[in-house]
Amino acid sequence: MNAALGHTGVLLALVACATGAGVLLYGLLRQRTAVVRSGRIYAFIALAGALLATAAMQRALLTHDFSIVFVAENNSRSTPLLYTITGMWSALAGSILLWGLILTGYIAVMVLRFRRSADDALVGWATLVTYVVAVFFFALMAGPADPFRTVAGAAPTSGLGPNVLLQDNALVAFHPPLLYLGFVGFTIPFAFAVASLVTGRVGELRPGVTWQSITRRWTLFAWGFLTVGIVLGAWWSYQVLGWGGFWAWDPVENASFLPWLCATAYLHSAMVQERRGILRVWNLSLIVSTFSLTILGTFLTRSGVITSVHAFSDSDIGPALLGFFGAVVVVGVGLIAWRGDRLRSAGGIDSPVSREGAFLLNNLLFVAFAFVVLLGTLFPLLYEALDGQQVTVGAPYFDTMTLPIGLALLLLMAIGPALPWRKTNTSTMSDRLIVPATCAVGVIVACVAAGVRGLGPLCAFGLGGFAAAANVRQLVLSSVGSRRRGTGAWRGLVGRANGGMVVHLGVVIIAVALAAATSYGHRSQITLQPGTQATVDGHVIAYDGLARVSSPARTATEALVRVDGQGPYRPAVSQFGSGTDPVGTPAIDSGLLSDVYLTIDTLPSTATGPVGIGVTVQPLVAWLWVGGIVLVIGALLAALPGGRRRPTDPVSAPVPAAAARPDDRDTPGEDNDGSDARTDESSDHSPDLVGTRYR
Amino acid sequence: MTVQDVKRTRKTHRARWISLAALVVAGAVVAVLATRPPAQVSEVDTPLLGKAAPAVSGTTLGGGHFDLSSLRGRWVVLNFFASWCPPCQQEEPEMVAFAFHHRQVGSAALVSVVYDDSTSSARSFLARSGATWPAVVDPDGQIAVDYGVRGPPETFLVSPSGKVLVHLDGAVTESALDHWLAAAERGET
Repeated sequence: MNAALGHTGVLLALVACATGAGVLLYGLLRQRTAVVRSGRIYAFIALAGALLATAAMQRALLTHDFSIVFVAENNSRSTPLLYTITGMWSALAGSILLWGLILTGYIAVMVLRFRRSADDALVGWATLVTYVVAVFFFALMAGPADPFRTVAGAAPTSGLGPNVLLQDNALVAFHPPLLYLGFVGFTIPFAFAVASLVTGRVGELRPGVTWQSITRRWTLFAWGFLTVGIVLGAWWSYQVLGWGGFWAWDPVENASFLPWLCATAYLHSAMVQERRGILRVWNLSLIVSTFSLTILGTFLTRSGVITSVHAFSDSDIGPALLGFFGAVVVVGVGLIAWRGDRLRSAGGIDSPVSREGAFLLNNLLFVAFAFVVLLGTLFPLLYEALDGQQVTVGAPYFDTMTLPIGLALLLLMAIGPALPWRKTNTSTMSDRLIVPATCAVGVIVACVAAGVRGLGPLCAFGLGGFAAAANVRQLVLSSVGSRRRGTGAWRGLVGRANGGMVVHLGVVIIAVALAAATSYGHRSQITLQPGTQATVDGHVIAYDGLARVSSPARTATEALVRVDGQGPYRPAVSQFGSGTDPVGTPAIDSGLLSDVYLTIDTLPSTATGPVGIGVTVQPLVAWLWVGGIVLVIGALLAALPGGRRRPTDPVSAPVPAAAARPDDRDTPGEDNDGSDARTDESSDHSPDLVGTRYR
Repeated sequence: MTVQDVKRTRKTHRARWISLAALVVAGAVVAVLATRPPAQVSEVDTPLLGKAAPAVSGTTLGGGHFDLSSLRGRWVVLNFFASWCPPCQQEEPEMVAFAFHHRQVGSAALVSVVYDDSTSSARSFLARSGATWPAVVDPDGQIAVDYGVRGPPETFLVSPSGKVLVHLDGAVTESALDHWLAAAERGET
């Protein structure tokens, strides 16, 4: 019953997407507006199919229908309700189903959002692309990754339950869906990128709505989810895996980080395009890269090619995903090769020391970052193919290579927002940077005085202070300006630029926490008799004794440990379900200044014997998660519409009469039938020296 | 010809050439990924074949005590590994998958022995990869000597009666382990 319902849902979605793609292709090629308009209805049929399949899967899990292989392998009668529900994404086939559900959800929202321009060729092509992507994923479910495959013969009376590591923390309910909302969300920007390449239009969809603004909003949306997903993943790893770390440059982590880097680069350079009309092809390339990297990442981590904690299931979908990645690259890059030269704008960057110059440098740094991570992830595979030898690329490579890029980004984060568009002069810059620079020096002096040593972390703290002060300065000026205009100070926090400043603050918090935790973290091992205590890195660790706890889902031996008199904390060795091997469960004393991370390293042979406790003390770890929250708040603020700048408000350095030659000026629309994203160029000819809003 | 025209003529096709170069690179990467050699694992001879498995007893990384004799009656995959060895890193997810698919009661058990590695690196390595089976610390290397292990990864299949039946050298895959296990269960080794 469940299997039949599920198969029906998958097939319904598959057929709907395939039909929709066919209808749209016909309508677009023959230019039948009515046909193109009719193509959107299939999005809702596909969503209904995906919902049906998901409901069938949840019903099968909740009713323990072990006749379905996926349920038998990922559920048992003793699995708690929460992990029964999350069982859907604890292995490959169910994850693909979640992917399909989210994708069809996105398509439906997109179709609704653009219902008034449904007969526009740009929207038509974009919808077509999303249908084709959906066809691929539902075809996977209909074929090699069938979540509703039934067991041969009689159904087993009980299942095996999900992987023990996935039954330990409620974060599994949130981390994968949020990550997927991010990953899958990049399909929409990609679809619009392809559509604008096919139609040759980067201009307005309707007055005020450009390809650019659509794509930026959707990318920001997906980027926000991906950010939360990544941060929660790090948190899960920290809470559950018991090695005291949160980021291991594991291929799966890299796979989620790569699209994040590309999307971050795009979110910055998109502003240059909106403002100056340049970098169009570059932006399209970033969008194509972001989407391609989500597929490559999925291939790398879901096909058993690469080692990782997430390799819970090997599968036969590797070749399909690799083929799809190849197709995405060929279509995306091929279209850029075909159309790119026509879409390019004639304008250039006037001065490297300008806002757009800073954005360009930012993009180069982000792309270099992505390249370093991609190379480190793929290098073992490429090297083995060429040389036959196996090598590994570990954390030292990533740490060494990404540290200078990270520091350079922090520096840029401080200077960039202070730079005006087009060009600047020394007095403007010294005016704007004197306070942040003073903060930077103050932070370094304070750190050195407090006994902090080490060039890398000191650089990170100093640059962090520089960037934080520069961004706070922007927010304050913006709020003051808003209040002066009578729109309320809070207005100075919303909108693209201001939300971006809040995001920057989140990044600074994470960077500082990361530098502190990785540079000054220390792991040690102590052996304690019950009732005794020891001092580790300034913390008093006292061991009270053992406790055994037992619930239907978990039996565990817990060590009762007090840290500085607080507690007891309960690091444990837990067994989930019967017949499985016990796994270590860490306990964490989390504080604003430092975390004390406790694991059981050696269980005593008798209840009164000595226990080996692993103690990892890392400063500022909790701020990683705080920074993550600030990032998300910033992304939300950036998604809200900010106050429109009045066309008369000056924002840029003046263009001297001599510089206003046609070849020097950015001339939007000159090479794409006048339909370019029209930006507020008028203000660039304002005689004012400095802007009010971006000061 | 205006200045703009000159500029446009000069830069024509730049996007095309860069795109084509990107395509070639991506194509090469796809080709490499698509033609990856299968994991290199081979069955090698050892004087232990058919003999009783030497004792494996000691502290586990998880903090408990382990003794191989406690698993008498089950098939045991005994794996010697180190966090510093690339093939060990390569085979780890395969082992995780094997353990995951054999986690029902009475099925084949997986046991790892730390080979020439610090306890903390080994623990961190296994924790990060999601390994949940016992890993025995072998501080003086006696277990490795008893089994004649020369370099990790090496994997032994021990029968329910405690005999060494298969000795594999190199990174294993889940399917290879399943293959040897099935062959051993049929009595073909």
